[in-house]
Amino acid sequence: MPEITFHHPDGRKTVLSAATGQSLMRVAVDNGITEIIAECGGSCACGTCHCHIDAAWFAKLPAPNDNEAMMLEYVAAPDDRSRLSCQIQITDQLDGLEIHLPATQY
Amino acid sequence: MTLFQPLTQAFAQNPYPAYAALRETEGLTYFADYDIHLASRFRDVSDIIMNPLMVRAMEGIATPEDIRAEQRKMNWHDMPHHERFVQFSLLDSDGAVHDRLRKLVFRMFTPAMIARLRDQIQTYVEGLIDSFADRPQIDFIADMAAHVPGHIIGTLLGVPDEDCPRLRHWSERIVQYFDLDRSAERKEMAETATTEFYHYLRDLAAIRARAPKDDLISQLNTHRDSGALSEDEFISTCMLILMAGHGSTTDVLGSGMHSLLRAPDQMQRLRDDPALFPTAVQEMFRYESPLPFFHRYNAEPVTLHGKTYPKGTKFGVLYGAANRDPAQFTDPDRFDIARSPNRHLAFGGGAHFCLGNHLARLDMEIIFSTLLRRFKSITLADPDPVYKTGLSVRGVKALQLSLIPA
Repeated sequence: MPEITFHHPDGRKTVLSAATGQSLMRVAVDNGITEIIAECGGSCACGTCHCHIDAAWFAKLPAPNDNEAMMLEYVAAPDDRSRLSCQIQITDQLDGLEIHLPATQY
Repeated sequence: MTLFQPLTQAFAQNPYPAYAALRETEGLTYFADYDIHLASRFRDVSDIIMNPLMVRAMEGIATPEDIRAEQRKMNWHDMPHHERFVQFSLLDSDGAVHDRLRKLVFRMFTPAMIARLRDQIQTYVEGLIDSFADRPQIDFIADMAAHVPGHIIGTLLGVPDEDCPRLRHWSERIVQYFDLDRSAERKEMAETATTEFYHYLRDLAAIRARAPKDDLISQLNTHRDSGALSEDEFISTCMLILMAGHGSTTDVLGSGMHSLLRAPDQMQRLRDDPALFPTAVQEMFRYESPLPFFHRYNAEPVTLHGKTYPKGTKFGVLYGAANRDPAQFTDPDRFDIARSPNRHLAFGGGAHFCLGNHLARLDMEIIFSTLLRRFKSITLADPDPVYKTGLSVRGVKALQLSLIPA
């Protein structure tokens, strides 16, 4: 299973093995990553599963669709590596993915 | 299982034993009175609302004849304005139409946009408190909760202050018609209110078209002129935002206050640690979800708990039951203002996730924090407030409070 590293805002790291086919958001929520809130449950409708993709990985992900791109304009403290974790599907190619979690979703 | 009688006063006073019984019943529960299959466990409710094949409207699922038969049952076609502006809405559309309409208004409801309203809400709440601060007893609903959400959503839309009370009057009459028990009297009331509301919005939109302001009506005027939404969608979206942004927050303010007053240890904890206001508000939504029931139709046959349902089956999702599910929440019947994480479903989920959730929470945080600051004692003057009947709503009709200023 692909291994994903989550970097918390306080410097801690959480490393998780993620089953393929589920979303990055689901991996985070099901494993107690509390920085990912995902209030809408994963429909690109709330903007509270925002995360920053590590520079080495950002370009390897499929680009966001129009809906996600619009939502990303409104998340708290976006940058040019912002994504909504509910829109990222775990594949074997993402083994080693590094995610930086935001300090707040609001 | 105890008989499920959701329209009784006994159920209104305490629906939770009935919800617990439903959760413990295998599979979904068929409720023949309304030909609907009820989901009550957190997992089932969550799976249904997150499933893109579970939709709000029957278009494309049933035959045109069946849709017309269902619509007649729901009193379409003999309520012309209600049908035109209330029955077709963002809430009752799916797919591309829903996404188009939601995107047009989403920008006004982001956390950053809502945060801009903080000072305005604070000033309005302080003013309301000033108006009753010298009275030893108030009705929290009539004197506070019923005013704030409607006033603020009205302001966001662009309705002048002096007209906000009329919005409340119309909204209350229209939403009454959403519940399961429909009388001819309620029907007449809903149709008349929709007509008056329509004329008002049409005139206000014309005024804003001549002199735009920084408000939602002015923005929607621009979108309509560019062809992004039709005239009817314009009116219908304004009405939906006003109605949705209003009654349910009033209800959860009342039942949230009631929850807090029944748990004096939690009230004290909140006074001691104001950083808990955000989680306290979340817990109020979980503990007494103001919109406990919604419906979905399946656009394709679906199998749940080993049973296959043909397309077009009507499902009821009981948020009030799911949010007390012990499989999801530790000690679910305990009101815990510091509960975290608190992944409740009171705002729904999926594509229809509540647009105004940030505004509702900000209204509530400001009201509760201001009341606790300005009154050193808040207690229940009537220990047994009466809850509204109906499966679709949860809220007290009145909540008499005794107050001692700080």
